[in-house]
Amino acid sequence: MKLRRSIVSTLFRAELRMVFRDRRMLFTSVVLPLLMMPLMFWGSTVSIKKRERALQTMTFHCAVTGSQAGAVRSLLDATQQRLKSQSKPEAKSDGLTFEEVACPDARTALEKGGIQFILQGLTADEARAEAKSDAAAQTNNPSGSGRAAPKVQTNDDGEDPMPGALVVRAVFRGDRDDSANGVSRMRNALMETRRLQRAELLKAHAFPVAISQVAEATSRDLASGRQVAGLALGRTITLALLIFLLMGGTVVATDSLAGEKERGTLETLLTTAANRLEVLVAKHLVILTVALLITLLQSVNLLLYVSLKLMHLPPNFAAALPPAIVALLFVLYLPVAALVSNILLLTSGYARSYKEAQLYFFPVFLLALIPGVVPFFPGIPLRSPIVLVPIANLGIAAKEILIGSFDWPMIALSWLVTAGASVWVLSIGVRGLSAEKLITATDQDAIVSVGGRPLFERHVLRWFAALWALLILVSNYMANADVRAQLLVNLVILFFGASCLMIRRYRLDPRAVLGLRAPKPAVWLAVLCGVPGGLLTTLGLFQVANHFLPVSPEMMEQFNKAVLPQNVPQLQLLFFLTVMPGVFEEIAFRGVLLYGLRRRFHPVAVALLVGALFGIFHVALFRFVPTAFLGILLAAVRMLSGSIFPCMLWHCLSNGLSILAESRGMPETDLGPVCYLIGVALLAVSFWILWRNRRPESAGPGGHDA
Amino acid sequence: MIAPVSVCGLSKVFFDEGRGEVRAVNDISFECRPGEIFGLLGANGAGKTTTLRMLSTVLKPSAGTATIMGHEVSADPEGVRRNLGFSSATTALYPRLTGRETLEFFARINGYPGPQVRQRVETLIERFGIGEYAEARVEKLSQGMKQKVSIARTVVHDPPVLIFDEPTVGLDVLNAIEMQKVIAGLRAEGKTILFSTHIMSEAEKLCDRIAIIHRGTIHACDTLANLRAATGRHYLEDIFVHFVEGASPAKKE
Repeated sequence: MKLRRSIVSTLFRAELRMVFRDRRMLFTSVVLPLLMMPLMFWGSTVSIKKRERALQTMTFHCAVTGSQAGAVRSLLDATQQRLKSQSKPEAKSDGLTFEEVACPDARTALEKGGIQFILQGLTADEARAEAKSDAAAQTNNPSGSGRAAPKVQTNDDGEDPMPGALVVRAVFRGDRDDSANGVSRMRNALMETRRLQRAELLKAHAFPVAISQVAEATSRDLASGRQVAGLALGRTITLALLIFLLMGGTVVATDSLAGEKERGTLETLLTTAANRLEVLVAKHLVILTVALLITLLQSVNLLLYVSLKLMHLPPNFAAALPPAIVALLFVLYLPVAALVSNILLLTSGYARSYKEAQLYFFPVFLLALIPGVVPFFPGIPLRSPIVLVPIANLGIAAKEILIGSFDWPMIALSWLVTAGASVWVLSIGVRGLSAEKLITATDQDAIVSVGGRPLFERHVLRWFAALWALLILVSNYMANADVRAQLLVNLVILFFGASCLMIRRYRLDPRAVLGLRAPKPAVWLAVLCGVPGGLLTTLGLFQVANHFLPVSPEMMEQFNKAVLPQNVPQLQLLFFLTVMPGVFEEIAFRGVLLYGLRRRFHPVAVALLVGALFGIFHVALFRFVPTAFLGILLAAVRMLSGSIFPCMLWHCLSNGLSILAESRGMPETDLGPVCYLIGVALLAVSFWILWRNRRPESAGPGGHDA
Repeated sequence: MIAPVSVCGLSKVFFDEGRGEVRAVNDISFECRPGEIFGLLGANGAGKTTTLRMLSTVLKPSAGTATIMGHEVSADPEGVRRNLGFSSATTALYPRLTGRETLEFFARINGYPGPQVRQRVETLIERFGIGEYAEARVEKLSQGMKQKVSIARTVVHDPPVLIFDEPTVGLDVLNAIEMQKVIAGLRAEGKTILFSTHIMSEAEKLCDRIAIIHRGTIHACDTLANLRAATGRHYLEDIFVHFVEGASPAKKE
């Protein structure tokens, strides 16, 4: 498809003219963000400062309790006198003022906000006893639900105090900033008083020098102020830019294709001599121009607020952004802007109407921000797999550039990857403009849908999205319930119930949906071979994933305890964790879900999609890779064997084997490469048998056969 | 001599949710001769718009071929569009452009020679009598004014073939008559016009030849006189009913 500059230019100029004549767009994309963003920053700054000032000048009220209350009061008096005696106001231990309040029930006074904290004077033995009871309370209430157990704190060294020593224990509310701030400052003030008292004591006993003269620990930061500021800026700049680009481009993009469809002008445009690529490129350029313009306006706007001192930038901010770096960042972020514009255009093109486009933009907005968060994570260098992740790679590149590190080959690769992604998204958009159902959406909508498989295929993902949301809600609600009750609700009521509902609602044939037919005998052999192979391979993949998303042993232990509780008989546990998921999860995922997707996508894409959704339904992030992999394997088994029964057996045995390994204390991690290779080999044999004995079901008209 | 519009065995099958395959257009064939108004007459949902959309390359045919000035719609869509002016059932104009800007935009985008664009636009503004509101934004215009701008926009690049999809829908009587005059005037200039309508009187008045289309199939295609002779009925309405009701059940499907 050729790209004529004169046509693109004509389209671009006309589109831009229309954009700038749209008052609604100007208001929502330009005026509103221009006012809102800085006002938001300014408002939060003012509010924080006001609160800081209030805390600074506040007189903190405290209660003194405990068997050693007298000793604590002495310490407080000494501290009070020390603070008063300090002549320079700035040296006055950050202006701490406090007074003791006599109250019969100090805890209640703290809860009600009458005092900010309690200072308990305890002996070492009392402190130890209290610490034990607090620890017990914390163990009994680990979830933090309901009334929180008090936090247990030890002294600075983490060592127990010697017998007879005074222990001052501050009791406060960490969820109230006056309480938390007051206790922190009081703690510092008391420590300083104690330090001075110690020095006095040593001096009185003829210690020749001050303690600080005995030894000193110092540090030296080799990073320049510019580099420190660059790091702070590098973490945030990509996310801020993405927000600006998305805010700037969304309204224009919505109007660009979805709006044209609604007005009927898209059809007119497509009957002109301009080809689809030219139409898309011109529209892309308009969104890009407006998004960049608004980003520029926002940046200038922010700088204006900074120059008016309504907002403050971190120190050395200007030094981190010399003109050459600004120019480099501009070039660097161009593909990001192009990719964002193309994503917005694609979303608008996919929507059939303005309203539908608006529905899509919110999730797109959230998803598009994800790569912008990557620079916040520490320890991700550009010279790593991240270089292949569009947007995120340039975010990391920008961060490295801002701290003075220029890895040119990787920077160039990042730029090319993101630019390539942008071109790819544009090409999808061009194909979308050839999709008749998207161009003539209005006519399609007019056709009465009377249900059946085609309608189900269109709705299946929505059903599973709703099911997932319901699962999350129910899981949270039943977090402390018995594991058997949780499984009954999740598997039987949610998965099986929803599957039955979908089959009934769309009048589907259960035998076809669920693949209720006998497989070839050799398939059972493939299953027996594949289960251990799949399990070993899954463990290997889990190890690989662990490098990227490390899971702490504590988390694993906690998860195993929750799933394999000691108070449930072993046989029951086996039934609930093997047979039930094997039956009901298979009905939902390799039955209903797979049936809904198989005519719309290539079999490989179906397997990947079913697997990914199966992983997402297992909620915890660290379980995604193993469960998604199992989901992919099972989807492949269903499509090759044409039956759901082998999937059920595979699932049951796989879960059973995992539980058995866990209960026998067999190591599930770090089995060594040989074990993983054996797993892969077994899996390969299993799928070879399945392939040789494949008996795929017909996908139906217009579908892809396995 | 090549027919300006030639359609041979053209079909369009949609996959409709719930109904499965829907044959919107089923193996139709016809030709439009140079300088004639060819009418596609059919009820709503007969397949008129789908046929015109295939001819204007918005939709891809499921089977068959169609050429506009010798350019095949699937093989050379850009060649087709260069020789075609398409006016859809809605006026479908950009609301935030003025009438003049609209004409200039469509002239340029259809490849009309750059230096002559302004002259061409002036000519059309004068011819269609839209000078009074040429500088007003389209969103401010009445339906009749918009329709005039829309017609001017369709012919601005001087294409030899014009397609009008129900051009008088939504217009009052006076504007509809005005529109019919414009279409007749374009024929007088030698344009080949393919014209869809479900209004019998309009077809009677304008069309040199009429194709009666029902459920995606053409049941008759001839001059009005020949259709009268073939059916023994005078009014087009009766002729239309004769063919539609006489269609065999097999054909209906």
